[in-house]
Amino acid sequence: MVQPEEQEKRPKFSINDHLDILIEILKRLDGPSLGVAACVCRLWCALIRNDDSLWEHICFRHVSVPPPTSVRPVVAALGGYKRLYMGCVRPMLSRLGDSERVRKRVWTQHEVVELSLSLFCVDSYERLGGSGRLGGDASASSLKFLCKPVNV
Amino acid sequence: MKRNHKATLEFGGGGSGYGVGGSGNSSSVVVKGECSTMSSAKAKMWGEEHEAGGMDELLGALGYKVRSSDMADVAQKLEELEMVMGTAQEDGISHLACDTVHYDPTDLYGWVQRMLTELNNSPNDPTEFFGNHQIPNIDFENQSPVFNDDSEYDLRAIPGMAAYPQIEPDSESSQKRVRSSSVGSDSIPVLPPSPSASNVSESTRPVVLDDSQEAGVRLVHTLMACAEAVQQNNLKLADALVKHVGVLATSQAGAMRKVATYFAQALARRIYRIYPDEALDSSFSDMLHMHFYESSPYLKFAHFTANQAILEAFATANRVHVIDFGLKQGMQWPALIQALALRSGGPPKFRLTGIGPPQPDNTDALQQVGWKLAQLAETIGVQFEFRGYVCNSLADLDPTHLETRPGEAVAVNSVLELHRTLARPGAVEKVLSTIKAIKPQIVTIVEQEANHNGLVFLDRFSEALHYYSSLFDSLEGSAAGLTPPSQDLIMSELYLGRQICNVVACEESERVERHETLAQWRTRMVSAGFDPVRLGSNAFKQASMLLALFAGGEGYRVEESNGCLMLGWHTRPLIATSAWKIPATES
Repeated sequence: MVQPEEQEKRPKFSINDHLDILIEILKRLDGPSLGVAACVCRLWCALIRNDDSLWEHICFRHVSVPPPTSVRPVVAALGGYKRLYMGCVRPMLSRLGDSERVRKRVWTQHEVVELSLSLFCVDSYERLGGSGRLGGDASASSLKFLCKPVNV
Repeated sequence: MKRNHKATLEFGGGGSGYGVGGSGNSSSVVVKGECSTMSSAKAKMWGEEHEAGGMDELLGALGYKVRSSDMADVAQKLEELEMVMGTAQEDGISHLACDTVHYDPTDLYGWVQRMLTELNNSPNDPTEFFGNHQIPNIDFENQSPVFNDDSEYDLRAIPGMAAYPQIEPDSESSQKRVRSSSVGSDSIPVLPPSPSASNVSESTRPVVLDDSQEAGVRLVHTLMACAEAVQQNNLKLADALVKHVGVLATSQAGAMRKVATYFAQALARRIYRIYPDEALDSSFSDMLHMHFYESSPYLKFAHFTANQAILEAFATANRVHVIDFGLKQGMQWPALIQALALRSGGPPKFRLTGIGPPQPDNTDALQQVGWKLAQLAETIGVQFEFRGYVCNSLADLDPTHLETRPGEAVAVNSVLELHRTLARPGAVEKVLSTIKAIKPQIVTIVEQEANHNGLVFLDRFSEALHYYSSLFDSLEGSAAGLTPPSQDLIMSELYLGRQICNVVACEESERVERHETLAQWRTRMVSAGFDPVRLGSNAFKQASMLLALFAGGEGYRVEESNGCLMLGWHTRPLIATSAWKIPATES
């Protein structure tokens, strides 16, 4: 058999030793696939959780014009791209894709991300201290409307 | 008029392509000319109507001389009579309230159907149903139904029940039962239960499906009648009617019930002169405001469209100053700060002056909000300065106190605040001249799109009823039938309920919810010397995207009207954003 000998001769290739390649591959996945990938092993999980540039890629994947460099620090300050994607961009895209009325319109990803940035900012603002003003309802969030079940 | 409409339908087969005229006279002229296949007798009938000076000839045949133009009046008086009969409690005529069955004379088709089905089902005592009516001679030996009709009126499909309940007083109240199948022309969308479902499930009250529609119409009529009684200072009648409204409202479901309840409460306050205490804890009203912000798109729409206008006006400025006429929780400003941070060319220095009412407990609510905004601005990297300005009314604003600095681009923003100044004479003019003295680059105004400031109470009431019905409907639509209803929904309704109370129950300087339409505000701004600024397509796109995000948001519509944007529910615009600037020559 050729295989065992070849295995001995070739150095073992483990993707986990080459994080930059791994990240390049992960960058090309979509949100749900990333979620699945995060379940593979601890390393992948940590990478996906902590590497915000992965999520930045997903947010701007279909945006033709690369976002200005000023966006990154703002998003980082507000909570990071992962939060932006999971909290705003993804529900917005799914909501916009579902609605029949919306399918006829064409909103660029860019516009979606712009709006989601604004909503994200409002949400971050609400999470800042002082939520006691809202009658003690600490879970009040202006993004709740994105999470409500869609009226089918 | 309905009669004419029905009559022209009759001729529809014979004539060819003539329009159905709006007024009796014009349609009769057209019919006379074109319809040659009509029998001469019918032609003469129309001709008579036209020649007899507009006398209604159907009533004329019975011996009444009523002008066609007065028919609407007659109908209204009949309705009022019915109303009074329904609530009659006095001796001697109290039987009118429970024992009579009233027929709707416009509903000929339904009446004929009912006659025939009733005859089929109770051949032994036909007189019980028809009273004075002549019963046509029908062969009772053959018990098979005269016609098979699968419409919702075929209540014989309900097993084990008489098709129509016997004549007995309604167990709920002494309200008379009205055999009417035609729903009134009110535009309030009451969602009726689907007939087939109701037929099967409602085994005890088969007529409910019709009743709730009828009751909805009755409810609106009773509310209007009550308001009219209040206007004529007939408080006794108004009191009786308001109680009746309460009873009728329980038969409704959803938005209609809530709106009716709030309006009834407000009317009751007006009748008994228990005016609501406006000086409520403003943190409570802020909380209600927040829930309204979260549960519906109106305030978000307002903020996003106003921010877009401000952004465009600030495109090249290095130092910007925004004056917010109603800071509340400052929810409008994070998005603007973020947009300024991402502006090409970097963020400008951002100064915000927030105006708010004095707090009863002396806490500095404005400063707290300012502090939060400062935190946010710092994390994003925008230089931020905040100043709070406390005043009871916008008319007390002094331009010198606002500390405008040279080289600063100023924006004035008013979201649902300006209409309060209409409560005192001269106040709005003073505010507008203060704004002009500040010399802003842009003034953004968002107001409710309704006229709740008319001189006649009844007109205001009717406008408000339609407006808040649409508003409550939209909230209901967005809630998507979640049970139990979310706290947001309840609080938002309470927020609106307080507005309703103010519009209906208060007067003079206490009535601050003096909403006016965009057209009225436009006139006011133009005559004060402002030029309109068109809100760009960016704002429109953003607004429509925002609406698409709302569950149940299929009913929301963004409209553009002469450069201003309006958000509405179905065909009814409910809130309008407009932007203004001072013409260049004046500065």
